[in-house]
Formats: sequence, C-alpha cells, structure tokens
Amino acid sequence: MTSHPIVELRGVEKRYGNLAAVSNLNLALSAGEFFSLLGPSGCGKTTALRIIAGFQEPTSGQVLIDGNDMADMPANRRPTNMVFQSYAIFPHLDVGKNVGFGLSNSGLSKAERDMRVAEALEMVELGDLEDRKSDALSGGQRQRVALARALVMRPKVLLLDEPLSALDKNLRETMQLELRRLQQSVGITFVMVTHDQYEAMTISDRIGVMFEGRLKQVDAPATLYAQPASREIAAFIGGMNFLAADVLSSGEKGLGVNIRGFGKFHIARNPKVSKHGERIEVGIRPEQIGISTAEEKSDMGIEAVVRDIAFYGESIHYHVIATAADAPLSVAVPNHFHSRDFARGDKVSLDIKSTSIIDLGTME
Amino acid sequence: MFRLRSETSRGMALSAPATLYVGFLVAAPLGILVAYSFWTQNYVSIDRTPTLSNYGFALNDPLVRHLLLKSIWIAGLCTIATVVLAYPIAYFIAMRARRKTLWLLLITIPFWTSYLLRVFSWKLILGFKGLMNSALISLGAIDQPLAFLLYNEFAVVLTLAHAWAPFAILPIYVSLQKMDRSLLEAATDLGCTGFQRFRRITLPLTFPGVIAACLIIFIPTVGDYVTPALVGGSEGKMISNLIQVQFGAANNWPLGATLSLIAMASVGLVATGFLFLANLARGTIR
Repeated sequence: MTSHPIVELRGVEKRYGNLAAVSNLNLALSAGEFFSLLGPSGCGKTTALRIIAGFQEPTSGQVLIDGNDMADMPANRRPTNMVFQSYAIFPHLDVGKNVGFGLSNSGLSKAERDMRVAEALEMVELGDLEDRKSDALSGGQRQRVALARALVMRPKVLLLDEPLSALDKNLRETMQLELRRLQQSVGITFVMVTHDQYEAMTISDRIGVMFEGRLKQVDAPATLYAQPASREIAAFIGGMNFLAADVLSSGEKGLGVNIRGFGKFHIARNPKVSKHGERIEVGIRPEQIGISTAEEKSDMGIEAVVRDIAFYGESIHYHVIATAADAPLSVAVPNHFHSRDFARGDKVSLDIKSTSIIDLGTME
Repeated sequence: MFRLRSETSRGMALSAPATLYVGFLVAAPLGILVAYSFWTQNYVSIDRTPTLSNYGFALNDPLVRHLLLKSIWIAGLCTIATVVLAYPIAYFIAMRARRKTLWLLLITIPFWTSYLLRVFSWKLILGFKGLMNSALISLGAIDQPLAFLLYNEFAVVLTLAHAWAPFAILPIYVSLQKMDRSLLEAATDLGCTGFQRFRRITLPLTFPGVIAACLIIFIPTVGDYVTPALVGGSEGKMISNLIQVQFGAANNWPLGATLSLIAMASVGLVATGFLFLANLARGTIR
C-alpha cells in the first residue's frame, strides 16, 4: 500500500479564453478507490477526466499520478486508460484484436498477449466472443469490450466517461453492480464521470460533486446524502424540501431552530456547512416525512392538504401544502400494498422528526 | 392490389426520364459501337457482314498493344501520383483546417475554367519557351531551356494529376470526415504514437475512400484524349489518340469501334483486378 495518493490534482484550472471550464481543482484519490465525478452536463467533469488522461492540457495546476508529475507526459505514455462514452470500439477489428490493441505496443510476446486478452475477456464474461466482429455486438457487449480493452493494459487508474449512459435502464442497473464487482476484483482505482446521481451513489466509494467548473463537495455517498454542503448539492442529490428557519440557540453540536408554521426543533449542526447566521435554510428529504390521516393527528402532527399524487410503482409521492406555513412539501412513502392511499384534497397530518431535518446553513 | 399497382406505376413514371436518357444516350450508342465492331470498312462504304477480323487485327497488332499498355501505365502512374498527393490535402482539410467549406471551395476552383484551357495552361507552363523554363533561366539555374518538360509521359501524368486531384481529395476527405474522432483518442490512450495511430486506425478506416479515389481517377484517365493530344507529343500518345484517328483521318469506324470496346474491356479487367487486390490488402493492413 502506497502512502501517497494514486491521483492528485493540485489547483488544476482549464480556461477557454475568459471561460473557466475547470477552476482550482484539488483532489487526492487513494489506491483502489472507486471515485465518481458527479455534476450536471457542462460542469467540467469530463474536462477534468480528460486532463487526467492527458487529452487536454490544464491551463495551470499539476496532475500527479502515483506521485509523478504528468506535465510532460503525453496521453499515450500515461499509466491511465479510458472507457469512452461512445466506447470507441475499432470497427475494423474483431473483439480479440480490439482488446489486444494496446498490448501490441507493449513489447510482450504473442503468447503472453493472447493470454492477457483471454484473461481480460474472461473477466468481463465475453470469453466466447473473441472472434466476433465488432459490428455484431450489442450495446452491453460493446461496453464490456471497451472495459476489457482498457483493463488488459493494467493501468494504475481507469477513467470512465459516462460509461453506462448509452445503455437502457435495466442493463444499466446490472452493469452498475458488475462495474463495482469488477473494480473490487482488479483493485484498480476507477474514476467515473456521470450526471446520474443514483449511478454515482450505487457504485462509488466517494463522490465529488461539481458545479460550474468547481468541485463543491467530496464525500462518501451516505454523507453526501445526509450532510450536503449547500442547497444546490442538496437539490442535485435526491429529492429535498427546502424551508426557512430562524436560529434560536446555537451550540457546538446542535442548533435550536424555529421553522415557521412547523414549530420549534433541535437539529444537528451540519459540519459541512460553514456559515450560520440568524436565518438558515433547512432541508427535509421527502421519504423522511411521515403522513397519516388528519384524524390520527398527534400533538406534534402538522396539518396539510394533498394537492397532487405521483405514482412511481415502488413509492408514491404526495405533493402537499402545509396549512399553517402555506408551504408546498413533497412526501414519499413506500408502496405497501395494504396501506391507506390518499386522494387529492384529503386533509392529512405530517410527522417530521427533528433528526431528519438537515441544516443547510445561512440562506444564500 | 390497387395501391401496389399505383405504386409500381408511380415508380415507373418517376424513373422514366432517367431510363430514356440512359437508354438513348448510353445504351443505344454502345449498341451501335458493338455492331460496328463486327463490320468492316470497304473504302467509302461499310460491309455489314459480321466478322471477327477487326478483333483479330487489333489483338495482334503491336502498336495497339503498346498504346493500350502505355495508357494503362500512364493512368496508373497518374492515379498513384494523384492519390498520394491528395491524401495529405484531404487529411489537412478534414482534421486540421478550421474553415472546411472554404478549403473545399478552393479545391474546386480548377473546375471553374474549362478542361481544355487547363491543359493548354500546362502547355504554357511546361513549354520550351514556357513559364518554367523562363523562370529557371532568369534565376540562372539553367542556360538552355529544358526540353524534357513537355511532350512526354511526364507532362501527361502531371496534367492529368492536376485535373483530377479534386476527384481524389473529395472521397478521401469524406472518409476521413466521417471517422469517429474518439477512435483516435482511444488509440492514443492505448499507447499509440501519432504514426502508429495513422497506420493502425486512420489508414484502414479511410481505405474505402482511397480505393474509390483510385477507381474514379484510373477509369477515365485511361481513355483521356485531350491531354495526351496536347501535351503528350509522340511519346505520350495513348489509346484514345489511335481511336480518334480511326474515326477521323484513317476513316475506319469499325476498327475504331473495336479499339474502343477493347479499351473498355481492359479498363474493366484492370479495375476488377485492382479491387480484388485491394480487398486482400485491406485484410493485411490491420
């Protein structure tokens, strides 16, 4: 185990004229990690990946891979390999030749190359397709060939540019699990770029969230979900209800807040948030809110009226208006087949626990 | 049923103009040519008794064989020269140039003047007292004008290559243009240097464009008449010049028709052989 990070970005910046695609990117990835760069399209995540690969040169800043500065290292000599969004399977070569493509530049003997190719194809479960023409492959198979072609090079870092976005939903979910399994079995550091929050959360050890060229938060999926560093991150990852609150008391660990129309709560202080003024913003995840009939209303219950219902199959989302606060809220409940369903216009009671209220710091 | 019949008749109506055009202006003249090749010239009249004597004469005549082989040789040289020169230009426009449309427009500029004028202008450039010689003399590079510039094979190849260059550039450009750029990045990512990448990805993927360019140039240049007549001299004569003589001064249309058909068959044969070899080569440059 090396002590230094396998990939390190130090103040990396990429400008096009006045436009900064990536600004002041600092990041350290440890060996064997599955890291995802998550953000909306145009946030600079792909640029960051291409800078690591060497396809784009940073305007300023340093890229280190395994402790070595990559400044003068062209893309073809970097210990990285990439799975392209389009897979970039060479159309004139069969599966075996695609996978073995990079090895013929490596000086290995033919026997050794054949063995590595067979091994890589076995790894992605394409062992019997070595002689298949590349135009006779399905989307999922192309993806596996692209993976095998990169992994056969035994890179220190594998870069994946939206690797699953071209696949249909079911296949994508299967491949997510498989990608994770593959990464754990080879132990190579994976850096994946994606705009799909669920995909990032399912596979990654850590996620870096990017907006407008800046890395906003780097954390494990569960931390990111429970302690988003800002409103925009909270809104991007999962659903979130936003409410304004007045700070009544402020302690090291907790805050006493009054959420207008909802009452007083003692909530945990979010360590990821830097600023706490007199008024802060709080968030509540839709699935953290309990919903019951108005008749069952407890003392702490909050009165609301159902305005819209969205049926998702595994869950039902109620869009309600909290009566006292006149605030719209989204409430998600799992679809237990025997549970009561509510109709539009129904009076309901909401149950909000103070532990599920997320402190988002001073309102922006 | 009704719908099907109406679709059929609509299809026929749509293709009728083209069918008539091709029928009257290509198929019919070709039929006449074939008919003539089996007849013989009897001083001023045509003897319409079918005979193979024209073919017998043409295939055994050393001059015909010589001119036919020379035509194929010159056209082959011209094809190679044009494609080799056209590839870098097409590559530059497709991969590097910012204003692709402007460059493509510039490439077609030679077409804005007539073919004949372009051939003549080469005569002015390469002639004994032409541009090239005057320039070289005024620069002091030579004392006497160079005589080998004009009226030979070289002049024919040069003139044809210039005239046909756009036809080579365009198919190669198209094949480069439609190549997925991420394939090039993938090759680099897998360790290829620029040259390796060209040899292993770019060239194989643009091979169909190169083949198309070769055929587009080879087939018409074998039968080119104007260029060898104007800049070929006696050394640069090609089969078409002999054919022209049969229809003109020699007044032997049947023999001219026979020579035309033999030339066509030869071109077809060479082109087929070339395609066959190209297919083999395609398998090996991987």
